[in-house]
Amino acid sequence: MPNLKEVIISITSRCNLKCRMCDIPSGKIDELSTSQWENVIKDACRLGAQTVVFSGGEPLLREDIFELISFTKKNGMSACVTSNGTLIDDRTAGRLYDSGVNVVNISLEGKKATHDFLRGKGGFDKAIAGLKELKKYKIESTVAATVSKYNYADLPYVLELAKENGATTVRLQPFNVIFLRDPGCRKEFLINKAEIAVAGEALENFVELSKKHKISTNPSSYLHKIPEYLSGREFFTRQCGALWYSCPINPNGDVFPCWIEAKNRLIGNVKEKSLYEIWLSERRLKAIRDIMKKGCKGCLMSCYDEAFGDELPAARVFGKIKKFKKLADSRKVINKTRQFLKGALVRSRLRYRFYSSYGGSWQVVLKRKLRGMFAKAGSSRKYPQDKNASLFSEISCLRKKIEREMRLL
Amino acid sequence: MQESKELTTYFRDFETNLAYYFSEKLNRLLAKPRWIYISLSHQCTYNCQMCGVVNILKDYQISTPEVKKIFDEISEWDWDFTVVITGGEPFLRRDIFEIFKYAKEKAIGIEVVSNGALIDPPMAEKIIRSGIDNIAVSLDGAKEGTHDLIREKGAFRKAVQAIKNLSEAKKKNGSGPQLSVWTTIMKENIGELFDIIGLSRSLSVECLVYHPVIVAQEDMQNTSPHARFWPGTKDVETLIEQIRMISDYQKKNGFIAFLHDPFLWVKHFRGELTRGEWKCNPFVFINIGPDGEVRSCGASFGNTKNMSLGECLDTKEASQARKMMRECLKPCLQTCWANPDADSLSGIVDSLIQRVRNSRVDKGDKKRILSAALAKLAFYEEMSKECQT
Repeated sequence: MPNLKEVIISITSRCNLKCRMCDIPSGKIDELSTSQWENVIKDACRLGAQTVVFSGGEPLLREDIFELISFTKKNGMSACVTSNGTLIDDRTAGRLYDSGVNVVNISLEGKKATHDFLRGKGGFDKAIAGLKELKKYKIESTVAATVSKYNYADLPYVLELAKENGATTVRLQPFNVIFLRDPGCRKEFLINKAEIAVAGEALENFVELSKKHKISTNPSSYLHKIPEYLSGREFFTRQCGALWYSCPINPNGDVFPCWIEAKNRLIGNVKEKSLYEIWLSERRLKAIRDIMKKGCKGCLMSCYDEAFGDELPAARVFGKIKKFKKLADSRKVINKTRQFLKGALVRSRLRYRFYSSYGGSWQVVLKRKLRGMFAKAGSSRKYPQDKNASLFSEISCLRKKIEREMRLL
Repeated sequence: MQESKELTTYFRDFETNLAYYFSEKLNRLLAKPRWIYISLSHQCTYNCQMCGVVNILKDYQISTPEVKKIFDEISEWDWDFTVVITGGEPFLRRDIFEIFKYAKEKAIGIEVVSNGALIDPPMAEKIIRSGIDNIAVSLDGAKEGTHDLIREKGAFRKAVQAIKNLSEAKKKNGSGPQLSVWTTIMKENIGELFDIIGLSRSLSVECLVYHPVIVAQEDMQNTSPHARFWPGTKDVETLIEQIRMISDYQKKNGFIAFLHDPFLWVKHFRGELTRGEWKCNPFVFINIGPDGEVRSCGASFGNTKNMSLGECLDTKEASQARKMMRECLKPCLQTCWANPDADSLSGIVDSLIQRVRNSRVDKGDKKRILSAALAKLAFYEEMSKECQT
């Protein structure tokens, strides 16, 4: 059974914005306490997870988010925060820096008018200010956009913005109905058939520009599917990796096999059982097998675009070698290989940076990947053996904090 | 001047808590105890059903010079601590006011725990004028029947009368020690916990402290659910209701001193409390028995007859006993070991930063304090490294 790779914690359902394409915040749920989340994070570590994504709602509304991030870091995983960026001022950015967060992901929907239309007035300026604060503290930032009828034309502009403000990645994701409780509203965001070509062109521009600016983004085969998806086509699939290696958890501790199947397939609650038990339970395996058997409509959520494996460097190399075998002329083979390798080097670097943007710098990711190769589920990682090691890291963290306070005086 | 004093107290708190934290972490004596309990003798007016103290060390009495010797020593410590005089019943001792007087001379803070049986109006007046800081009277029920069932017939009336005498004397005198009530939570009185608040308020008490019952005094670790006073499953349900009312009252009016989250009692009585939720710091508390033996949590450190108290704290036995206490898996949730402020390092630092930020001192002073805090942290870091090697 594959290892758990990332845990996506929806830490709160509260939010300070009211976006058009999302009505999650309107549902109020009891949130887990800090210590309960810490237990979840510990269990995730035991199960061999490499990344914890703090999502929401707006995760920065939780006072203890910084504590939880440093706890994640202490347990040797990387932490990623998904925010709308409006709450990141100098103080918050400083606290994020102190907590040791790896990546902060900020949503940008397009030009100012588009962004403010979708996310509420003033949101754009604050989000940009937030990006600048992150840049000031040298925290890696990435940008995410939800592609819909309203903003597909603005995507190249988003890329320019990201470049300008020091973000390393722009991640796209088509609008998805799961964020709306009333599926009837879905039509508002979809495009008609005439627009498919226009949207396709916009995305083509986007891909070109991303190569030019050296900003990583989703695989291009994935991006090219977005227009069709937005026109209402479904991408039926039976093999989605997300079921095997990711684990979404709701603010009240409900664990689901995946966001899309969330509504009807609860596999447990961390208040009743530990995440460790839930993850290894028969119930979860049964749920996953069921989904695989029936197949899934396909969500095209960006976090799982690794499923579009033909874009992965390794898969591509093997594919091309097969083709080359058929060619008789050796000189041609050498030339073509050289050309391909040159291109592949650039492309793979960008691709790798994209995947790693969830998990921190490439050195960290590589180290973790190597460790992951030899790991088994459950027994993969232990808690820090040395009791005092965490003490020292805590002390140095606190010293930084005091120094920061002195600077601010 | 006032403000710089304020900063000094902040820093002192920070220093103290750090010392406790690292003492616990490294099991090294870096801190002096916060609470020093002295049981003058185990003789008592009552033979309460939940208390077995009367049967141990029956014939021992710690003598007045011995107590004075201890006071002489601790008054020279550069440390904030409080001496709690317990027993048995401390007012059975004839020299009790001499002890109070000596402590006052040495500027030592004293708290006394009594059952109130001997406090008649003249005695109350004497207590109020003696210069102690706190007098606590035990009340185990809001109804006469409950209290008397646990203690002895007539005990309730005597306790209530004692509190009345004390508050009247205090009114007459204009000032005096804080008047408080201690209540032991057990099966018999679990439905009356909230009513005790009303009763003690009507007696003009200033503070109320709850603590869960210890099943056997000789064996602190015994938290057996089969013991007589241990609340059963149904009683715990009642307790939850009571805690809700009590904590609501506390939020509005204060009055009750919680040393930890009261919902921990529920877990405690269900036997689900883990060490992660409740930490007792073995450096915070010591008890000096009537035989002069220094103990903490049942384990003996040394005897004050043979050596000074400071030496008793630093013996091999003490270190061994503290090691056991750190690994104790059955938290007893007593108030004496509580020092939640020193439980987390980031909590200690955060509270200092927060307090410094909110104070209105000029920047230079603030910077000085923070840099002193940095130096202190660096000092402890060095020490932990040393301990590791």
